Amino acid sequence: MMGDWQVYWLFLQQGIASGLVTGSIYALLAIAIVIIFKTTDAPNFAAGEIFMAGAYIALYLLIFSQIAYVIAVPVTLAITFVFSALFYRIVLRRIGVSPAVAVNVVIATLGLSFVLKGIVRNTGFGDVPRSFPAVFGADTVQIGDAVLTTQDVAVFALALLAMAIFFVFFNYTRTGRAMRAVGMNPRAAALVGIDLHKTRMLIWGLSGLLSALAAILIAPKILMTADMGIVVILGFAAAIVGGFTSLPGAVVGGLIIGIVENLVGLFVSTRAIVVAPFIVIMLVLAIRPQGLFGGPVVIKKV
Amino acid sequence: MTRASYIVAAVAAGALLVLLPLLGSGYIVYLANLMLVYIVLALGLNILIGETGQFGLAHVAFYGIGIYTTAILTGRFDVPFLIAAAAGVLLAGAIGLLLGYVSFRMRDIYLALSTFAFGEAMQWVYRSWDAVTNGPNGMRIKPAELFGFRIATDHDAYPFVLATTIIIIAATVWLRRSRLGRAFRAVRESEPAALAMGVDVRRAKVIAFALSAAYAGAAGGMFASFSSFIHPDSLGFTETILVVTMIVVGGLGSIPGAIVGALVLGAVQELLRQAPSYQEILYGVILILFMMYLPKGLAGAVGNLARRAG
Amino acid sequence: MRRMKAFALPGLIAGLALSTAAAAFPIKAGQGTYQDPGITDDTIKIGLFAPLSGPARAYGEDPLNAARMWYEMINEMGGIWGRKIELVIEDDRCTANDLVAAVKKLVEQDQVFMLNGGSCSAAAVAAQEYVLRNKVPYVMLNASGDGALYPPTDYIFGGISISQRAVGGIAVDFVVKHFNAKKIGYINHDDAYGAWNLETAEYMAKEHGVSLSVESINPNITDVTAPMLKIRAANPDVLILTTYARPAALILKRAHELGFKGPIVLTVTGTANLKQLVENVGTKDAFANFYVQDVINDSPDGPKQRWIIDMYKKRYPDLAAKPDHPTPYMPYGVASAQTVTHALMLAGPNPTRESVARILRTLTFESGVMAGMISFGENDRAGQESSIFLKFDGETQVLQPGVYTSRWTYKP
Repeated sequence: MMGDWQVYWLFLQQGIASGLVTGSIYALLAIAIVIIFKTTDAPNFAAGEIFMAGAYIALYLLIFSQIAYVIAVPVTLAITFVFSALFYRIVLRRIGVSPAVAVNVVIATLGLSFVLKGIVRNTGFGDVPRSFPAVFGADTVQIGDAVLTTQDVAVFALALLAMAIFFVFFNYTRTGRAMRAVGMNPRAAALVGIDLHKTRMLIWGLSGLLSALAAILIAPKILMTADMGIVVILGFAAAIVGGFTSLPGAVVGGLIIGIVENLVGLFVSTRAIVVAPFIVIMLVLAIRPQGLFGGPVVIKKV
Repeated sequence: MTRASYIVAAVAAGALLVLLPLLGSGYIVYLANLMLVYIVLALGLNILIGETGQFGLAHVAFYGIGIYTTAILTGRFDVPFLIAAAAGVLLAGAIGLLLGYVSFRMRDIYLALSTFAFGEAMQWVYRSWDAVTNGPNGMRIKPAELFGFRIATDHDAYPFVLATTIIIIAATVWLRRSRLGRAFRAVRESEPAALAMGVDVRRAKVIAFALSAAYAGAAGGMFASFSSFIHPDSLGFTETILVVTMIVVGGLGSIPGAIVGALVLGAVQELLRQAPSYQEILYGVILILFMMYLPKGLAGAVGNLARRAG
Repeated sequence: MRRMKAFALPGLIAGLALSTAAAAFPIKAGQGTYQDPGITDDTIKIGLFAPLSGPARAYGEDPLNAARMWYEMINEMGGIWGRKIELVIEDDRCTANDLVAAVKKLVEQDQVFMLNGGSCSAAAVAAQEYVLRNKVPYVMLNASGDGALYPPTDYIFGGISISQRAVGGIAVDFVVKHFNAKKIGYINHDDAYGAWNLETAEYMAKEHGVSLSVESINPNITDVTAPMLKIRAANPDVLILTTYARPAALILKRAHELGFKGPIVLTVTGTANLKQLVENVGTKDAFANFYVQDVINDSPDGPKQRWIIDMYKKRYPDLAAKPDHPTPYMPYGVASAQTVTHALMLAGPNPTRESVARILRTLTFESGVMAGMISFGENDRAGQESSIFLKFDGETQVLQPGVYTSRWTYKP
């Protein structure tokens, strides 16, 4: 029989290991939310449903059209990219992009989220929880006392890889730097010849692509339903803990939320898991109103 | 519009409201009661978001405080309904004050998300605090008694719900014209300018929070007067978002806008129930089209029309 | 039959006009006069509702289709006492406010004789006061609805598929008898279903003198490591899951990864699609020691269920072609509609709401669909309280001996 401290030590190891895996997915979602917010000045309330739609497109291609992973995944990413970019081009460009109309953008994205959920439900595939055929086996990997599967390790590694690619893209490519410039100061960016609309459209496309990528990675772990988009709330939590405008912050925030969920479940109560992220948000903001990684609060309007 | 046409419209609306219980079935009166509750919710949120420019997204949490306080006080402690409902308003207002005070330093998205988190946490409390809220079983609400008269049906409750709504609308109009109302709008337009004008920005923001919460608490009391059951599932973020949508579709910062927004979306939701499979798609498309073509809401559109006509 | 009147789009004004007209000209029967609305010499009107949109649509749409096909079949056979059943269909959206609105519309605007509907327990409970005040007989569709069944009332009947209070107790009864379990792990949800099934699970555990370690989780949980790890640390002889399908699959997967070897019993709340469950868990090895509860009278593809599946395919060829249709919940709707038609039949040629409710209070019949008889009685407003258990190894289901019936009774 194990002693109490041994049990708690095991809890801690397993809680952190599993938390890092789910947390890396929250981090991907958080990045998708943050890049939109930085350039559009409004949170994307359809992020969860674009994520969900991405998963269903992949499902359709993989299972019902029997297309191989190597083709199905890029096609899914391409479709979500084009779709998100078009949503910006057709809807948001007309509404406009500024803090003054932020709430209009929020409601338009909310409308999109209803449309996507409605469409998936009408296909009949959205009712039963589903998954993809596993690429990686369910073999277990022992790390300390914690047990993960090869799938868990692969999800974590791929999520980190995707984040690294984004980091390089934003810092070392021309388009990426243009996107950052639009996020920091749109007027100045326009002055140096950056096409604001085109850049924002690209950002929307990228965000959609990122959501779909997160969906493909996480679908076997959380299973797909038409309401799986709800998980994006945890992406928002990750983003806010990380400061909402900081990409590294979003990553750290995602991992923190993933771990906190497990530790609260293990050491407080499983009933409290669902409320833990919200408590974290409130605590973080009460102590640092701009999030852990956010810059100092500046008063913009004069 | 001319002054005369306003009066005609008001008289027509008034006549319809008074005659409604004579003409309508319990179903229609129930919908009317619900819509009046949503009008009060919308007016309250409009003070915070529309007038003061503070993105508080915990509105339904305060609505829940109003409902549960009224239900618990009347059901378990036999407190008279009006006193119980008043206690709900005060408690919601007090907690709103506290939340406003704590979140004073936050702005924009941070404020939106911290209040969102507060709302979610409160829903969890409603769902999990079994001893007080009866948890996931939901809670029965004892039929209200008003001036010795027992409210058993929607028809019975309607005069009270309508009168409360009218009083609250009047108070809101008065508030808008008051010094405080001007201070709210000054904060919305520019905090530094408001400071320069001698407005106590912190005080204005905190009061806006408290008032908005108290409105939601009052809406909770109204709901408790005609409804016999409350479940935590009804107090989630979707409800808050519905109220936000109402004030945006109606026209942010406009009192008639909040009222019309609540009515229009309430009616849209009820009509869409007749096309269940396409309901979500249609609702989504309606929201997107509204934002694309009527960005200033119905109030803004009517204003434009009036300007063009005049 | 009048085709789905509810799907026509009446304007708000039309609605108002309708209600005033209804108030001004009370319905007059052709020859007989009837004290209750919704009944004429050759029709009887029933309000049928379920969540037909939104997240709960999957739980309500097919049971409603099933109920409808039963009513249509009765009509084709000449109706009940010469009266054709006229259906008015509403979407209750699974929310309390919408369900109450639907019920009020059906009772006051459409003037139905009785109500049949509801797939969501919490929402169905919200209509209780109104239904009782208006004395309208109300048979739930496939909602458990325990909150409105206990304490018993004169007009509300539910638990046609099974009452959640029966689910928890039966599961404990089964694991004690079948595995001789002394320590039982129990994972339920933090919602109304979870609260109700836990109540009787605790009751039966006490009755048998066994211990119960409980972890309650939210249905939206993404990472089930914490509950499963805690259960494993408690080292129970057997694990009972009363969760929905998605969390159930996640827990089974985690249990397998963490090396939990004991038997796992999944109650009917999560057994919707076993083939998909295996795909979702990803390996058949996780099903080495796995049992499912069911509330129908046979395995879903068994001979005793054949007639109902065939009837559905014939009636709704388009729907049957959709993936996962009919859904596993579909048969429950037939049992619910049977409850209504049997009561109407037994109430004789001149039924009143009162006489139908009186019949319902003691109605007992064999549905040919569910595991046990549908049976109401004094202090018992839950129709079905029996279930069977099947061993499922990832491919085939093997029926375990015995039908387990809830031993929990409501004590006033």
